[in-house]
Amino acid sequence: MSTTAKTAPRGLSRRRMRVDGWRWAGRIFLVFMLLYTAVPMIWMLITSIKSGFAAMQFPPQWWPDEPTLASYEKLLDPQNSVGQDFLRFFWNSLFVSTVTTILSVIVAVPAAYAFSRFSFPGRNFLFFAVLLRNMFPAVIFLVPLFILMRLLGLMNTHGSLILTYLTFGLPLAIWLLKGFYDNIPVQLEQAARIDGATRFQAFILIVMPLSAPGIIATAIYSFIGAWNEYIYAYTFLTKNDQLTLPVGIQRFFSENTTDFPGLMAASLMMSVPVVVLFLVLQRYFVRALTEGAVKH
Amino acid sequence: MTIVTGKAEARRRLQSGRSGVLRKIWDHRADYAYVLPAIAVMLIVIAYPIYYTIELSFFKTPPGLQLRDKTFIGFDNYTAILTSEVFWKVTWNTLIWTLGSTLISFVLGFATALALHRAFIGRGVLRAILIIPWVISAVAASYIWKWIYHSDFGIIGAVLVGLGLADRPPNFIDSVSTVLPSLIVVNIWREFPFAMIMMMAGLQTVPEQLLRAAQVDGASAWQRFWHVTFPHLRNVSTVTILLLAVANFNSFIIPWIMTGGGPSNASHIWITHIYELAFGRQRWGVASAYSVLLFLILMTLGYFYVRALSGNERKEGSA
Repeated sequence: MSTTAKTAPRGLSRRRMRVDGWRWAGRIFLVFMLLYTAVPMIWMLITSIKSGFAAMQFPPQWWPDEPTLASYEKLLDPQNSVGQDFLRFFWNSLFVSTVTTILSVIVAVPAAYAFSRFSFPGRNFLFFAVLLRNMFPAVIFLVPLFILMRLLGLMNTHGSLILTYLTFGLPLAIWLLKGFYDNIPVQLEQAARIDGATRFQAFILIVMPLSAPGIIATAIYSFIGAWNEYIYAYTFLTKNDQLTLPVGIQRFFSENTTDFPGLMAASLMMSVPVVVLFLVLQRYFVRALTEGAVKH
Repeated sequence: MTIVTGKAEARRRLQSGRSGVLRKIWDHRADYAYVLPAIAVMLIVIAYPIYYTIELSFFKTPPGLQLRDKTFIGFDNYTAILTSEVFWKVTWNTLIWTLGSTLISFVLGFATALALHRAFIGRGVLRAILIIPWVISAVAASYIWKWIYHSDFGIIGAVLVGLGLADRPPNFIDSVSTVLPSLIVVNIWREFPFAMIMMMAGLQTVPEQLLRAAQVDGASAWQRFWHVTFPHLRNVSTVTILLLAVANFNSFIIPWIMTGGGPSNASHIWITHIYELAFGRQRWGVASAYSVLLFLILMTLGYFYVRALSGNERKEGSA
């Protein structure tokens, strides 16, 4: 295709205008998405520093006339019953999530390494079996697991949650880690083995340090998954002192249906640990998540 | 063990097909040790429940989980489900919920990724803010939005009244016609960041030279997107859409916490319905039959999922 010298500049300027048009559309779109994302979170924050009376007004106070931290004080005060409950739920969540995370890493690291490096018969089948687990909703497993947990005597224990979270977190953890191992050159291990290291030594001394970002990402993923999980905790735990945060907050709300400031403060405090964890380590996390689906 | 040359060894392997496989398994026996813990845990917690669900789906079960008293009734649970009116209502809801959430999340996430692709000041901060809803627990998200939709003190209602668009705050989640779209908005709020992350990573793999070449050849921004960028992202898009579809098909928390399936089943989707049948009305047999049907649907989706993923692997192998 050829253009004459006369029309070329006009074409160019028109093109630049078109490009600018797209760029402006992009900016406007981003502002819209920012509002969509941020307004609910800001409203949660604003509501949480209102008094119960100020929250229940129409039209709403866009900024509270008398900002107060009363809701936070109530939830974090070990002296009153609400605070006691909330702190216990928080501790339960922390305990369950941490143990799940540690176990996930211990189990997923060798499995992912094997899927990445060895070509044993049935490797592909097993790998896809692992991935397929991702497809099935918790509810399918709920009834039989409920019965299984009763059989094992794990009802109303944190053990039931840890075992379930571990299993359901594993497929993705293995997939994430495999992406990392695929990117570590085999030659590094081979060099170590020529220098006299066993396969296991090469794994521990060479591969493990190199895959640290992947392990961190997997750990965050397990932690966030366990921290936010609701269905199993809701089904397996009935005793008040065992509950984790998501179920605990639901219970709190069903008893105090109009205490929206308290509810918002509790939601916010439940979100803080995972959001902070995520923001600090998001580099690893985003990379790991996309490693499996996008090959560089 | 006798010493054989490489060639003779290869010929011997060729000759004995089946014992060759066994031999290979034996040769790789140490490799299985790495996978064993993962497989063992999953067998207990996954294989057994699947078997048990299928078995229960053929039985009439008494409430209270006294499962010794169950009676075999063949396919009655299945026919009961397929002929009930609620089933079709719930299926329709699930379809709208899954398709609506998946497609809109994907389009919004993809568009955001495109808009964020060019570097500008504050891009990192903006990206981090946009991802936060995805990290927040769905329970917290449900309560935040329940408060936003509140029929007396909700912020959206107040804005609409303030702008003169409504006389009184609308009932978003208490009305049959608006409840499902309202919940989908919440779901998209939590899910578009996932599509955004995936597509941002995908965009980085599109070769800059190709785009430049297309620009030199006079392709418009839209043409460059449609003929260069998009074909490069086909695999990532497939995987993202499938993952979103599966997650949406399986979602539970948002409808369960925000409405519990109401009003009059208008926001019941499959999973919440199954949960209510099993743990609310204690009809374990029917709930199991529902689960098996769900399982079959997911297997079909899973087939495409695996195909999309192995398509990626094959490409990587040949590259």
